[in-house]
Amino acid sequence: MGKGDRNMVVEHEHNYEVIIKNLNKSYDGVSIFSDLSINFIKGKITAILGPSGCGKTTLLNIISGIETNYSGEVILKNDSISYVFQEDRLIPHLTVYENAAFVLKSTMNKMEVDISVNKFLDMVELLEYKDKLPGKLSGGMKRRVALARAVAYKSSLILMDEPFKGMDDRLKSSIIKKFLIHQRETGRTVILVTHDKIEAETMGDEVYFL
Amino acid sequence: MKMIQSPLEEQFQMKTSITAETKIIKKIGILIFWILIWHVCSVFINEELLLPSPFQVLKSLVLLMGKFYFWKSVLSSVIRVIIGILLSVLIGIVLGLTAGLNKFVEELLEPLIVTVKATPVISIIIIALVWFNSSNVVIFTAILICFPIVYTNVLQGIKSIDKSLIQMANVFKVKRKYVLKDIYLPSIKNYIVSGILMCMGIGWKVSVASEVLSIPRYSIGLNLLSAKTTLETAELFAWTIVVVILSFMFEKVFKYYLQK
Repeated sequence: MGKGDRNMVVEHEHNYEVIIKNLNKSYDGVSIFSDLSINFIKGKITAILGPSGCGKTTLLNIISGIETNYSGEVILKNDSISYVFQEDRLIPHLTVYENAAFVLKSTMNKMEVDISVNKFLDMVELLEYKDKLPGKLSGGMKRRVALARAVAYKSSLILMDEPFKGMDDRLKSSIIKKFLIHQRETGRTVILVTHDKIEAETMGDEVYFL
Repeated sequence: MKMIQSPLEEQFQMKTSITAETKIIKKIGILIFWILIWHVCSVFINEELLLPSPFQVLKSLVLLMGKFYFWKSVLSSVIRVIIGILLSVLIGIVLGLTAGLNKFVEELLEPLIVTVKATPVISIIIIALVWFNSSNVVIFTAILICFPIVYTNVLQGIKSIDKSLIQMANVFKVKRKYVLKDIYLPSIKNYIVSGILMCMGIGWKVSVASEVLSIPRYSIGLNLLSAKTTLETAELFAWTIVVVILSFMFEKVFKYYLQK
């Protein structure tokens, strides 16, 4: 299996944010994807459901460019991508605020970073914890920081791998509502990977089973 | 305005102060124990030329401290050691970071680092004697011995960094300067500190050894050599104690600034 092709979208495919053609991927001789072709519509939320080990995370890693060992074609409309990883991937010695600001500093000035970080930490109800280190937070709280970081980053595509893991029902429902409003307002494309059928049906404009 | 402390605060402060005092008393006790052992050994050997007593060494040290050349020698050696250690740390960090971020550079530097680490200190000093004047021999030797320590520590630090964080930064297209400042440097800070501490101890040993061979005009090494030549063993011990105290002070000052 060689390195796959990651290209930009061509004119006639302008309705799609991501186009995957004839994707093949295997681990240790076990096939994960065989000739998989799938298109993700621009401005829509596509939920991908499936059991553990079916390749949901691998698909997001291929789209994000982390996984390069595959064959087939991955076409992206835009190469700015936000990603809520399967693991939180928070920098342990930076505070909640600094973790979110870390991904924004390269493209925004200090004031823009401040406005954006505060806005999205408020969205995930963590504003009062902005000076805390990740080590002082619960699993669900870390998840919310990772979510705020991804949403705050200016991108047309958000990849989300089990973004609401570890959150209680009230908080989950409140954050989903706020996130959906944000998504409708901004028209960002979302690919959501989850094993929760209700979550997929609530959020997804389209739902796929892997 | 006088602050009013609660009895609990007073009790806590008193407890902390007692613990600190106990520690100091314990350390002084240990020092006295070893000085006593030294004294007993010198009494037992009963030969000033082989092992002078602590009192004779102290007397010799006090006499030395009253002389101008003592301070000039100490200051000259301190400057050489500081230059040697600073350059070693700088070279070690720059090369360590470059090698940690670039596999080819690491492979390119590997033979050099392995060779320098395996080369006996005496060979480095003798080669340096051929190449440089006496003051520079000391600095060159200190650099060659110390920079691989910092380099290896920095490289080890970079290798221990959580690669998933670097992947995260790449996905979000974070500029390299922020990745370096917010992920790499804080993660390798402890490795750099431990490298510097090791350099301070080794730097003094190596510098004094190369001073003995390269004999710069004002240096602790030259004084050690002349004390040995004139069989002034008490003076030899006194100069050795000066090196130990200086090395200890370097470490303490560095740790103090680190805490600040």
